[in-house]
Amino acid sequence: MAVPLPAAPRPTSTDPIAVTGVGLALPGVEDVAALPGATRTAVRAAGPVQPAARLGRRGLRYLDRTSQLALCAGQDALRDATLLSADGELAVAGESVAVVASSNLGSLDTVCQVASTIAEQTTDRVSPMALPNASSNVIAAVVAMRFGLRGPNLAFTNGPTSGIDAVFWAALLVSAGRCARALVIGAETSNPVVARLLGRTAGELLDGAVAVVVERAATADDRAASQLAELGRYARRPGVAACVDQVLAGAPGLPGIWFADSRPGGTAAGPVTPRLADHDLTAAFGLASGALGVLQCAAAVGWFAAGGADAALVTAGADTDDAVAGMLLRPAGRGRR
Amino acid sequence: MSWLISGTGAVASIGGSTDEVFAALCAGQSGLAPLRGFDRCRYRARSAYEIDDRPAPGTDVPLRATGWLLRAVAEALADAGLDTDLSDVPVIVGTGLRELRSAELGWRDGARFDAAELHFGTALRERFAAARTYTLSNACAASVYALAMACDLLDADAADAVVVAGTDTLTESMFGLLDRVQLEPPDQVRPFDVARRGTLLGDGAVAVVLRRADHGPAAARVRAVSMNCDASHPTAPDPGGIAAAIRMAHERAGVTAGQVDLILLHGTGTPLNDEAEAAALGDVFGAAIDRPLLTAVKSMTGHTSGGSGLLSVIVAARALATGRIPPTIGLREPMAEAARFRFVRHTEQAADIRLAQVDAFGFGGVNAVAVLERVGGETGTERVGGETGTERVGGETGTERVGGEAGTEPAGGGGAER
Repeated sequence: MAVPLPAAPRPTSTDPIAVTGVGLALPGVEDVAALPGATRTAVRAAGPVQPAARLGRRGLRYLDRTSQLALCAGQDALRDATLLSADGELAVAGESVAVVASSNLGSLDTVCQVASTIAEQTTDRVSPMALPNASSNVIAAVVAMRFGLRGPNLAFTNGPTSGIDAVFWAALLVSAGRCARALVIGAETSNPVVARLLGRTAGELLDGAVAVVVERAATADDRAASQLAELGRYARRPGVAACVDQVLAGAPGLPGIWFADSRPGGTAAGPVTPRLADHDLTAAFGLASGALGVLQCAAAVGWFAAGGADAALVTAGADTDDAVAGMLLRPAGRGRR
Repeated sequence: MSWLISGTGAVASIGGSTDEVFAALCAGQSGLAPLRGFDRCRYRARSAYEIDDRPAPGTDVPLRATGWLLRAVAEALADAGLDTDLSDVPVIVGTGLRELRSAELGWRDGARFDAAELHFGTALRERFAAARTYTLSNACAASVYALAMACDLLDADAADAVVVAGTDTLTESMFGLLDRVQLEPPDQVRPFDVARRGTLLGDGAVAVVLRRADHGPAAARVRAVSMNCDASHPTAPDPGGIAAAIRMAHERAGVTAGQVDLILLHGTGTPLNDEAEAAALGDVFGAAIDRPLLTAVKSMTGHTSGGSGLLSVIVAARALATGRIPPTIGLREPMAEAARFRFVRHTEQAADIRLAQVDAFGFGGVNAVAVLERVGGETGTERVGGETGTERVGGETGTERVGGEAGTEPAGGGGAER
């Protein structure tokens, strides 16, 4: 006997997706409007983020640094979105909130150090408390546990494009009705393992986290939440030019700003680019890897907050990478193109 | 709303293709063997379910997980009759440990390491020209999460086909950490057995091609996939979160627990998972728990981490099409909490199966549950196609280039903007 399928298909919503909160755990910048103009001098002068000072010490002891940074940014984004009270109470059902994390380098230090300990001694000398940190989804899990977020929980480790990919997938989760909202967090840290494996000095690498909350504009309206930006087209294509062409296809005009990826090959030689200067956040913060795309989206929000009137383009990845991801963000309330 | 699995590929310790793996599982063959690539004296557990393809005993080389992924994807594409040019086809890879083994070898043993190879997009671009690729590190639920995401992508009209995959190889850090925390080292994976001692890792990769429901031949229909998070404990599963994921899958699939014929258990053989899974199933199914057949293929493949859920999806698809249910080997005495469960034990069982549930639960409390349905006629023992069991409903083959306008996905819009 055949089992009938549900009568009504679940349509993917075509409502606009808005950014309703931003949280930063970055050295030298506390206000999102100051993000686009952040300088390397100011970042270096500020010293590293102190998670214990922002979160309290409780529960931090066995968390790795990227998890701690992610908690800082995530907490601030949830508060900014008026989803979390000062007492840490979630204002909505936990099942309604998804978590989407992006980090390429976060678990490398734990993994490599455990492997070294085993070779030098045996598994007897390995700390059992390292087990959660050896899993690349520890950031997403830690954030979910801290704030009681029981919706879908995704951890992207997708290379240079990962942060923008995470924002796209968060928006799709919401459009698909999997959750009412999603907390997206990009987090990376520098340590001797990461530095050596990447062939960089620690100072060249981001030590920080950025978070945004995305939800349907209609949902934000229903709970009287501020909308900080609207998400537009997204693409992941081979090469910067192909990506930019796709994202901007059919757009009414050029973006007002482009947050690009500065590594070799990060700036395209296409018709768009001579007319649009690219703005490189890594000059101030260091190579941001999986956190870059989320950092760029937050910078777009900051640019809008400071009066930016046109769309903002963000791209991550270089021509020499497996692909380049890009997204267009618009000031809130402009509606779809 | 439903989707079709139009091609499958698999590589594991027990076989190098879907046919080989399924045949081995039905025959009750295990991939268990003494550790091949690690220094055994560093560990209490001395066995695993590894793919035996290292160049020499006791040595190891990077990028094995990537190699198996490419093989599984190639098999799935061929099986689905799809062109190997994936320029416009999204590929979502669920993994627990990505290429962290390569990072270990690079850090500790001086092997060549490139951070661009930590995620699978680099290799997928090189082999298949794929650019819409996603490496999702979602622990042991990763590849079923990837399946859910693929369903959503198809629903959003952002693609005509999606490749869903999973791959993992053992890392010393994960094998070692499990070794450190398990009270007694297990000698094999014995899901749901009263004397189970824990899990042992396995190597494996798996891939499926997912299409919309109106597309041609298929191995099985996906009715729904759920995703949620316990938000409770970093490693221990929560029966409440698991039960919620199971209920969500049934509700999205439009089925009741009483209609499920077969459950592919997550069944890791750890005290905690099997207890939580049994409790959750008992809670959701209630009196109907004695109706479905249940089996746990990790008893033969070991715990293949991120790809394990999708491997069970492929096994479920084969079981639906052929009516053959692989056994759970090593299950001598089922735990008391599962006393009423109808396990398929020791030898394969024949059964007319129409609906199957696949469980996948991972560290961090990530849960994903899939509901699959048989395609085709009324009986459960159809075999259409060649002798070696290319069990496919219909016989249409031929290459196909999938995808029109390439790769633009409105964030928050539907297909209307393309």
